[in-house]
Amino acid sequence: MRASFELLDHTAEVKLRIRAPSFAELATEAGRAVARLELGRAAPAAEGAYRDVVVRSPDREALLVDWLNELIWLAETERWVATEFEVHAATDTMLQARVRGVTVDEAPARIKAATFHGLKVAPAADGLEAEVILDV
Amino acid sequence: MALETATLAGLAHDIPVTTRSDMRVPARVYADDVLWEQISRDRSLDQLINVTTLPGVTRCAYGMPDVHEGYGFPVGGVAATRAADGVISPGGVGYDINCGVRLLVSDLDVPAVQPRLHQLVHELSRSIPSGTGRGTRLSLSEPELDRVLADGCRYLLEREHATLDDLEVTEANGSLTRADPAAVSARAKSRGRDQLGTLGSGNHFLEVQVLDEVLDPAAARIYGLAAGRVTVLVHTGSRGLGHQVCTDYVRLMDQVMPRYGIVLPDRELASAPFASPEGQRYFAAMCAAANFAWCNRQQITYVVRDVFRRFFGDAGRLRLLYDVAHNMAKLEEHDGELVCVHRKGATRSFGPAHPETPARYRAAGQPVFIPGSMGTASYVLAGTDAALGLSFGSSCHGAGRAMSRHTAKRTKPGHEVRRELEAQGIVVACPSSGELAEEAPFAYKDVDRVVDVVHRAGLARKVARLRPIGVVKG
Repeated sequence: MRASFELLDHTAEVKLRIRAPSFAELATEAGRAVARLELGRAAPAAEGAYRDVVVRSPDREALLVDWLNELIWLAETERWVATEFEVHAATDTMLQARVRGVTVDEAPARIKAATFHGLKVAPAADGLEAEVILDV
Repeated sequence: MALETATLAGLAHDIPVTTRSDMRVPARVYADDVLWEQISRDRSLDQLINVTTLPGVTRCAYGMPDVHEGYGFPVGGVAATRAADGVISPGGVGYDINCGVRLLVSDLDVPAVQPRLHQLVHELSRSIPSGTGRGTRLSLSEPELDRVLADGCRYLLEREHATLDDLEVTEANGSLTRADPAAVSARAKSRGRDQLGTLGSGNHFLEVQVLDEVLDPAAARIYGLAAGRVTVLVHTGSRGLGHQVCTDYVRLMDQVMPRYGIVLPDRELASAPFASPEGQRYFAAMCAAANFAWCNRQQITYVVRDVFRRFFGDAGRLRLLYDVAHNMAKLEEHDGELVCVHRKGATRSFGPAHPETPARYRAAGQPVFIPGSMGTASYVLAGTDAALGLSFGSSCHGAGRAMSRHTAKRTKPGHEVRRELEAQGIVVACPSSGELAEEAPFAYKDVDRVVDVVHRAGLARKVARLRPIGVVKG
């Protein structure tokens, strides 16, 4: 399975479907989807130093939400959108990554949060499939 | 109190408590046949039924005529939980805490504004940023931010960015006393620190309008409204600060629910007993975020007034008619008990007899605003005493989306939407064509129909119709 994401129909918000061979690649692809939405275009090449990001959560679904909320918070508070991801460790309750990104003039304000509504991370053929709704 | 159905003539769609085994109370949606058919297409009704399973939920869960699928609660959902033994749910308020609307009224008429309308709209767009990075937002030190969170608009009154008159016509006088800045995380504060006076993106906007029809002359007189006058509608909320408060507390509630034995059909409804330490802490943080949102709309008002004064001198004076919240949990007394009313995408609609209706509007009821989408009408209505029995004193907050953003963009590109609005004489300032397409009028329900249902069902009474002539979008 090749990692990919797509936007599904939702009346008011953005519903993301992500497919990937592993949870680490799923988190990477979900990060790319958020970058695409925050920037409104394909992400340019990352620049500058790497940052370490560590997220701990009670289960894998919550881990996905918390990971995305971390990226959303960084984008808004630091005007910095993560576009390049190296996930070094991913268990059901912890995700450790190095990320690089791009600085933007205006703090992205498109995504308010990743939500728990309709959230799923489930096995699929040759990997995993996740769905998450972003409040926009 | 029993559900009141006698005068609703086909506008109340009841979902009995027996529909699903985990329902604790029935649900009801106010809609005519056309809106009901639209509402039935997405997951609004499933989400409303989920709301009826909240511990301590009382009487009925209501869907307003603009109800549509959201997350947790549907947008346009209203439910009350008993303060004594019920829960509070951050997902029942949403991420944009105290997103709301205020209406500013001028004595200017269209001929006085039209020759400078393009410059006016672009100056408003330049002066009121959508996010951080440019414009005249108010950057706050840590102690100043805490004052905003604790005192709301009272703080801006001290800084002379608000008047006493403004506070008197803002819901809760723009300040909730249960707010506690210490309940707001450092992360949330870091998101809000330089966002006061910013519009945000999505469906947030500022509109220059003309009052094109008075529908209730007596109420319009009480509100000081006259046909032909130019108005400004501001729609925004608590920005990143509120978003982060909700994120923090949904996460917390999700983790403590098992300790309280709470099991719910949707994780986004994560709740804790209102009286528990977690419930009280969320309520204090939510009140603080609500104070931030009122200050945000007030700071924008301060800038809009400055722009109007520069353009039109003393004739450009703008009076605040009212400011209503539409994502909020409020402690109120209904059916003889203290309840926590969750309104998500729904506004208060209190009538003449309610003590929280401002004294100057007692003869008419509290002003209620229902904005349309760009290019369509918005309405001023008056709250009714009957709404207390019909919907815990609530009305809807807008036209309500009928189409996903994705489909809207596929249906018509932003530059075409812009051209069509301009062909109607509406000046548009929106940097993103994509976002313009997402918010196009055809993506929303018919606001005239939605307002008609509100009026006929008795949730609020039509007073005046407003037509847009300029739109500023984040």
